[in-house]
Amino acid sequence: MADPARIKTDSNSDKLAAGKSPKTEDSEEAPVPDADAESKDPSSQSLKHEHKQDSVAGDDDDDDDEGTSGQPVSKKLKVEPEKKKEKRQKVDEDEIQKMQVLVSSFSEEQLNRYEMYRRSAFPKAAIKRLIQSITGSSVSQNVVIAMSGISKVFAGEIVEEALDVCEKWGDTPPLQPKHMREAVRRLKSREQIPNTKHKHILFN
Amino acid sequence: MAEEEDEAGFDEDLDEGAGGTDGSHGKRKRLFSKELRCMMYGFGDDQNPYTESVDILEDLVIEFVTEMTHKAMSIGRQGRVQVEDIVFLIRKDPRKFARVKDLLTMNEELKRARKAFDEANYGS
Repeated sequence: MADPARIKTDSNSDKLAAGKSPKTEDSEEAPVPDADAESKDPSSQSLKHEHKQDSVAGDDDDDDDEGTSGQPVSKKLKVEPEKKKEKRQKVDEDEIQKMQVLVSSFSEEQLNRYEMYRRSAFPKAAIKRLIQSITGSSVSQNVVIAMSGISKVFAGEIVEEALDVCEKWGDTPPLQPKHMREAVRRLKSREQIPNTKHKHILFN
Repeated sequence: MAEEEDEAGFDEDLDEGAGGTDGSHGKRKRLFSKELRCMMYGFGDDQNPYTESVDILEDLVIEFVTEMTHKAMSIGRQGRVQVEDIVFLIRKDPRKFARVKDLLTMNEELKRARKAFDEANYGS
């Protein structure tokens, strides 16, 4: 279930946000007994679909030009998703293979860090309690899943930025509060941190 | 306890920067200390991150969740938080958007797999 387009844009090879390799378990969801339900197709469909939509449009044009007769449109529509599926599967398999090669070449320390990266998650109960204390009504499980997920990405963005700051200032990890605060300041200027406390009145 | 006072001072600075003060930051019980430590290590920090840094990060995460919840309550169906609202709010941020899509798709898949598994067991 890898998204190669996103992996490529992610320049940091250590931090692959959603790369899945069959070896490592994923405990971000509710505990699953060894269900390696990491079938590559359906999981990547929704994402790949968005990326492939452009190429689908392109292919349609080509096929129409060739235009044999009769039922070309419906036939093409049936053939294309299969071609796309194969391409997707192949890309996915390549991705997974690459991940396996990478993980197999990790040092012990890197393996530890990677394991922590994949396994760490916010406790669903606490997040649910937090959201419900704000809304006053109950929320569905999907909301809790989504919120924990993006909170983890948010935490990751801050830590990454703080590590950049730390390196830039010539310090070494562990991160100090001043690095964190500078990271927050930078992210705020990029509007990556939501802030609705300050209302900007447009016409006054 | 000098540590705590310093931390409260730092937090207040942080809050004033954000345009508001919330004195309960220093006094609220820490919700995510253990998990955040593991997370910070996973993201590249030292194996033992500073407690103050973990606290700052926890406050930031709680503020993030609070802001998202408030925003989600104000759009779509008022007063309720739904997944569609969260997805809408996150649409501009490619990383978070892709992550949410991934998680929800994976969850559906796992549910289907579990259901099929249970049915297979029930049948036999």
